[in-house]
Amino acid sequence: MSIYLGADGAPYAGGHLLHNLTLFGRLCRALGMNITPDRITDAARALELIHLGRRDDVYQTLRALFVTRQRDIDLFDEAFQQFWRRPSSEQWSTLDLRSLGETRRKKKMQFLPGPEATPDDENGTNPQGVDDKLIALVPTFSQQELLRTKDFAEMTGAEIAAARQWIARLGWSLGTRATRRRIAGRSAQIDPRRLLRDNLRYGGEMIVLPTRTVKIKPRPLVLLCDISGSMERYTRLLLHFMHGLAHSAYQVESFVFSTRLTRITRSLHHKSIDATLLEVGTSVKDWGGGTRTGDALHSFNYDWGRRVLGHGAVALIITDGWDRGDPELLRAEISRLQRNCYRLIWLNPLLGAPQYEPLTRGAQALLPYVDDFLPIRNLANLEMLVKELKRVDWRRPERSAHAHWIVENTK
Amino acid sequence: MMFTSVEAVQDALAAQNYIAERSLATAIYLSLALHKPLFLEGEAGVGKTEIAKVLARLFDTELIRLQCYEGLDSNTALYEWNYAQQLMHLRLLEATGASRAEMQAELFTREFLQARPLLRAVEAGANGRAPVLLIDEIDRADEEFEALLLELLSDFQVTIPELGTIKAATPPIVIVTSNRTREIHDALKRRCLYFWIDYPSFDKELRIIRTKAPHVEPMLARQITAFIQEMRRMELFKAPGVAETIDWTAALIALDQNALSPEIVAETVGVILKYQDDINALPPESIAALLDRARLTADAAK
Repeated sequence: MSIYLGADGAPYAGGHLLHNLTLFGRLCRALGMNITPDRITDAARALELIHLGRRDDVYQTLRALFVTRQRDIDLFDEAFQQFWRRPSSEQWSTLDLRSLGETRRKKKMQFLPGPEATPDDENGTNPQGVDDKLIALVPTFSQQELLRTKDFAEMTGAEIAAARQWIARLGWSLGTRATRRRIAGRSAQIDPRRLLRDNLRYGGEMIVLPTRTVKIKPRPLVLLCDISGSMERYTRLLLHFMHGLAHSAYQVESFVFSTRLTRITRSLHHKSIDATLLEVGTSVKDWGGGTRTGDALHSFNYDWGRRVLGHGAVALIITDGWDRGDPELLRAEISRLQRNCYRLIWLNPLLGAPQYEPLTRGAQALLPYVDDFLPIRNLANLEMLVKELKRVDWRRPERSAHAHWIVENTK
Repeated sequence: MMFTSVEAVQDALAAQNYIAERSLATAIYLSLALHKPLFLEGEAGVGKTEIAKVLARLFDTELIRLQCYEGLDSNTALYEWNYAQQLMHLRLLEATGASRAEMQAELFTREFLQARPLLRAVEAGANGRAPVLLIDEIDRADEEFEALLLELLSDFQVTIPELGTIKAATPPIVIVTSNRTREIHDALKRRCLYFWIDYPSFDKELRIIRTKAPHVEPMLARQITAFIQEMRRMELFKAPGVAETIDWTAALIALDQNALSPEIVAETVGVILKYQDDINALPPESIAALLDRARLTADAAK
């Protein structure tokens, strides 16, 4: 076990620096930064190299070592200011380390989720005494058939639970793309490295001809879901849908919007849908608000588009097309979105309803710029969507001035 | 050459015409002192790549650059066996009736290994002078490539299955840059010091212009800086970076301008804005308004 040495090589006498540094490291870790013990060791070594008297240098040193993402910088600043301050009196160990995280959490507590469909009771048991595992087996064929074509908006809590199981069993698989990476596999291209290695065992006679082929990967998927007032009846089930998709598809980024855009990818990582719903409920501030699709897409394009639309991503936008924002802005932003993704699919819960025509201003603005236009009204629609997503491959149909409508009900 | 303080780094960078604020100089100083790679993130055109070039000039050493792209693999980044020569050598060995073990030992030697940038950076330190390794725009490469870098970044060594581990005699100075078009895995960031380069402040940008274009009229330099700073406050799809500022200054000097006018801004806007939507967001009346504000700032900074 080595002893921490001071700058002159003598063992560090007195000082609480190392102790405090460790405490500070733990504080930063508690705030969600990625601090490993070797980081703290590095920090201790780094502090030897700088002027400890210069607070700014200490700050920069620790920041360079502890922060690994831009969004942590503000949090780190706050923690640093709180932690490394001159003790006001002799009692200087009373800083409540948890208070930082608390204020941060409190900021988020502005919205309580609308538990309109399934109020979970205190004991954590299932509502209406429905057993999750049984529900998929219980319905008879006709009940299943009924469920399949039932409008999401009219589903009861029990039906939503059944629908959720249905969604999980749908077997989501996204279209693929060819990457520029090569792996062992059948093709006409010889892999020279393995050619030599594999044939050495035959004394250098070229007997086996190993080949390599293009590596195929599923496409990333980006979900943008409208959660404004007009979509309210669908929101809950759509969140189930997004949760199911996030857990079964390859690389999914999820966003919700009404007047502004919120990224919920991290909330959807929770295994349990209830934890997800609760977290989404608290982090989303404009639940059931008006719709300004243009503004939401604008902030998506500017802040996230370049980060999540790479590698031939497929984007799904889920909205009913009711929009109160500026249609010109919406047109500009949806067209930018289409240009930046490989395939843009619009899912509309109203499509497929009798006498529905996409005539609203928002719908008129969206329609020319989406590649596919599909309903998302019932489980049968989701089956169609599964088929459509599988069909997205390396050949994109020509982008026309009008979307490819898929309305006919495949029963 | 080794630096003993943050100020020394800052001065040395300034002597190489690179204006760095204290925070960046601290990060560079620590990266050199701790032998840790420096991970630089920031918008395009804020001078990330330039740092590597400046460091190479500063230490008078080789700059080894690896431009990342999707599908970058060990054959192009690390090393590749020279198959043609190996095959030829194999024929020779066959003629001498070598055993299988001898073949194995003879074929996979350093002599048949072609070093690619990363291996070159590990080996280049043999003469005692650490090279600068620039891993540029790592966000363009795919996740598989990041894994390839981990061993190099933490231990400055490369392991070749057939040959063993090659360790750097003098660890290279490593600069990794990213435009943040995707998140880089924590495993990689953990091995580096992280620094986010922001757009420069008015004073810093003015100094950069003066350094890069020493003959520019002081008034024009102030106006350019103020105008660009105003533009960054607008909501643009791609705000102009420092590289654009420098280009624009050069363009205005080439056009013999002493001060900004709405007409000349409109004519040269293609130098600073590269998206049609952004150019459309700047009609003549907006240019005039921006210019008025910029003139005020420029006069105040006199």
